[in-house]
Amino acid sequence: MNKIFNSFLTSSRRQFLISSLAGSTTILFGMSSAHAVGRQVINLLNPSSPLVVPPNFHPTIWFTMEANGRTTVHILKTEMGQHIGTTLAQIVAEELELAWEWVQIDYPEMTAEAQAAYGIQITGGSYSTHEMFDRLARSAAAARELIVETGAKLLDAETADCMARRSTVVDIVSENQITYSEILSSTAIEYKITEDDLSEVKLKPKENYKIIGRSMPALDIPEKINGKARFGIDAYVPNMVYGKIVPAPTRVGSTIKGIDDSAAKKIDGYITTLPLNFPIAVKTNAIPTALVIAENYPAAMRAAKLVKVDWEVSGTSKISSQDILTEAKKLLTNRSKGLAFVRDGNIDRAKQDANQTLDASYITGLVAHASLEPQSALVQNVDGIWNVFAGCQAGHVVRLILSNFLKTTPDKIVVHPHYVGGGFGSRVYPMPIILAAVAAQNLNRPVKVIFNREDDMGLEDPRTTTVQHLTAMLSGNGNVIGLKHDVVAGWIGFELVNIPAADNKGKIEGLSYSGADHWYDIPNQHVTAFRNEFLESVMPLGAVRSVSNNYTVFAIESFVDEIAHNLKKDPLSVRLELLTGRGKNAGSSPSEIYKHKFPLFFGIPGPAWKKWKFWPTYHASGNVAGAKRLANVLRISTGHAGYGTRLFGKDTAHGIAVTAAEERGMPSFCACTAEVHVNRSSGEVFVRKLTVAIDVGVAVNPDGIRAQVEGSLLWGVSNSLFEELTVKNGKFVQNNFDKYSWQTMSNLPELDIQIVENGLYPCGVGEPATSVVGAAVANGIFNAVGIRIRKLPIRPEDVLQALKA
Amino acid sequence: MSRLKVNGRSYSVNAAPDTPLLWVLREDLRLTGTKFGCGRGHCGCCTVHLNGEAMRSCQIRLGDVEGEIITTIEGLDARSDHPLQRAWVKEQVAQCGYCQSGQIMQAAALLADNPKPTDEEIVTAMKFNLCRCMTYPRIKKAIQRASREIRNRNE
Repeated sequence: MNKIFNSFLTSSRRQFLISSLAGSTTILFGMSSAHAVGRQVINLLNPSSPLVVPPNFHPTIWFTMEANGRTTVHILKTEMGQHIGTTLAQIVAEELELAWEWVQIDYPEMTAEAQAAYGIQITGGSYSTHEMFDRLARSAAAARELIVETGAKLLDAETADCMARRSTVVDIVSENQITYSEILSSTAIEYKITEDDLSEVKLKPKENYKIIGRSMPALDIPEKINGKARFGIDAYVPNMVYGKIVPAPTRVGSTIKGIDDSAAKKIDGYITTLPLNFPIAVKTNAIPTALVIAENYPAAMRAAKLVKVDWEVSGTSKISSQDILTEAKKLLTNRSKGLAFVRDGNIDRAKQDANQTLDASYITGLVAHASLEPQSALVQNVDGIWNVFAGCQAGHVVRLILSNFLKTTPDKIVVHPHYVGGGFGSRVYPMPIILAAVAAQNLNRPVKVIFNREDDMGLEDPRTTTVQHLTAMLSGNGNVIGLKHDVVAGWIGFELVNIPAADNKGKIEGLSYSGADHWYDIPNQHVTAFRNEFLESVMPLGAVRSVSNNYTVFAIESFVDEIAHNLKKDPLSVRLELLTGRGKNAGSSPSEIYKHKFPLFFGIPGPAWKKWKFWPTYHASGNVAGAKRLANVLRISTGHAGYGTRLFGKDTAHGIAVTAAEERGMPSFCACTAEVHVNRSSGEVFVRKLTVAIDVGVAVNPDGIRAQVEGSLLWGVSNSLFEELTVKNGKFVQNNFDKYSWQTMSNLPELDIQIVENGLYPCGVGEPATSVVGAAVANGIFNAVGIRIRKLPIRPEDVLQALKA
Repeated sequence: MSRLKVNGRSYSVNAAPDTPLLWVLREDLRLTGTKFGCGRGHCGCCTVHLNGEAMRSCQIRLGDVEGEIITTIEGLDARSDHPLQRAWVKEQVAQCGYCQSGQIMQAAALLADNPKPTDEEIVTAMKFNLCRCMTYPRIKKAIQRASREIRNRNE
């Protein structure tokens, strides 16, 4: 403790300036008394005696402390239901020793300056807490030391005798105390925390946590129960006009030849229709679109029905789901197309040594984000600055992309954060923002584009269809000596996150195969990645909640059960045998500093990225102890559920599965025991109960974690039993919620969630638990009625067919 | 000009009579707490009370509700202190929050009609209000909590 104070007192003396306010001269440190630190204001009642308003204490970009005692934590993550602001504020409040009632949050605008200071600000991958925890904790701890030192001076006490608690500095010898508010009202601390301070600062021992670990009510909930919360779709500026698209006849590839709006001209409020023939650039999701503009949205909707667009129809217009599946299967037969994702041991040797092999193929369908808030954007130009009002998960990426469309530079674009009405990956794609911006530039007026549900679903960037083939090599004594896993998946197109193949032949979009690199100890293991370019030519694919884990984990965890049944072993014992935690599955050591596997996941090349790169410097690993933690949650889940000891009625059983989503570098080890009932006459599957254990390391806000896991599990049930987008004539068949159905309040499973803590570095919870459900349910179906379903979603007709066979 | 009574106030609205009430509320009256989800009455985001009954405002035409009593989430309770709103905070129901106005309005109509709904009655009343964050278990708990509170108050 002393050492750190000394470092402040000695090396930072030149920067660490505490100046008195309001004319007192008794407490003045630092270089000079000439600094005018207070902002002078005029007291209108008494112009002859100006007041000095104490300046804010802003030692770091992450928070600002005011002299009135209030601290605002600046949230650089998008709020889309995860209550991330509350979690991040708790981390700051803990190390800064703040009284929680004096903490508030805000969401700063995304500007060029903000990007330089904060980095690229992507919200996704369940990374936020994992990414921010250490940085916020250290920044707050360094600020606390400054406050304590200042408080000690004001109390005329030794710094070493002083401590902070509940926004107050206390001299433990004299029992004198002074509040943060009093300190910041009478002094001005001029100091910016440096990287050196962060590396030297001492964090609190976890057993002293008072705010981390408590279920603080989410700060964003009160305004979400009375209509006051502002989502992107609620944005308003005076004089704005509205845009409604006329959808293209195919998901991609069609272009506009001409527009006839003569019938629309009779609509009151109709203005014009813009033919926005963007070059085909699937990655930005901006496909050619006719944008109907009107004075109000109902008029735009009416006019859009009357505008006739002459389309040059895309060659994809004959393609259906069956074609996509056929092409995917064909791809598997062409080994030369495969890229090496995992290459451990010698798979050919394992095949020779094997007593027997076991094969199975799995198929998963397209899954939509289907956020309830349809995509929207409002763009307004004020004095040459383009203001974007929209909810988005990657604001600075939007600034970069938009600058190309507007033929300007990113510093001329400001994104104003809004609540997102359900992210799940959907708000990475900036199509409505591009449309609104280009239209605003054309019309010289603010334009608000709102997708209706049909537009939103028609322009989905769904989770890829997959075909996966697994081969297990089993020894005579019942061991798994080899595992071969082929995955055919379309790529999301975040090219910058591609990783070199395991044999250095080519690059792989790791995000599309994560989960196939599982934690089982199998000496010879090959995962081969096949890219489904045919599918990518029909639609852009998207990151949908937990991304690849939902299909890779479904296949692997179903297959482990198939192996177990083949070996006549219990699926639980097979898993525990394979989760040895040896070799590469041992995880990092606790002292190891984690290097992101996909460093560019967070960024784009250029100066902004260089700023970002040093961020994870103090960032401990998320996968310490590796597979042993996965075995641990599996024991907890099965133990809690009474796996193997419960007596069920007819056609009812437990099924188990594990996941380490989102990826090996940031795994939230999770296990699920699903109680599943199958109705033999209807083929319907009922998930009655999910008993889940999830290891998060440190639970910052346990109830918030619980809420995310509840939502993730039901999302997993929904994906497993109900959800699928299909394609006909090059576009999606399901365009509203009558055709695309998902989990409702009916037939909810009981949820028993065990949050496991061990004090290790925290991992995220927004998505991982979604991926554990599919296989647990499929395994439960097998245990209940003896049929193996190798397809998601699990449809009653497939169950009936399998029961007949 | 159409005359509307919303949340106890009278408004004159200059919109075509076939305009969905949802868009009049959101764009003309700027009561944006009522949300647009599907435009077809499938999701319940736009639920308001029409003479006390929960209705999908995307399916109601302005011309059909002149003079009727309309209540939106903003008017459910002047101090945002309806027993359901308190229960919603207590149970920490909302995640993204987008569907929650509709959920609360649907639940408020249920409890006004049936202050002591069974589990099954809650599901029957609420199952057409979709929530993509899947907050259903907490919605259920919050309705039960509010129901208990209303009953205790009346006893």
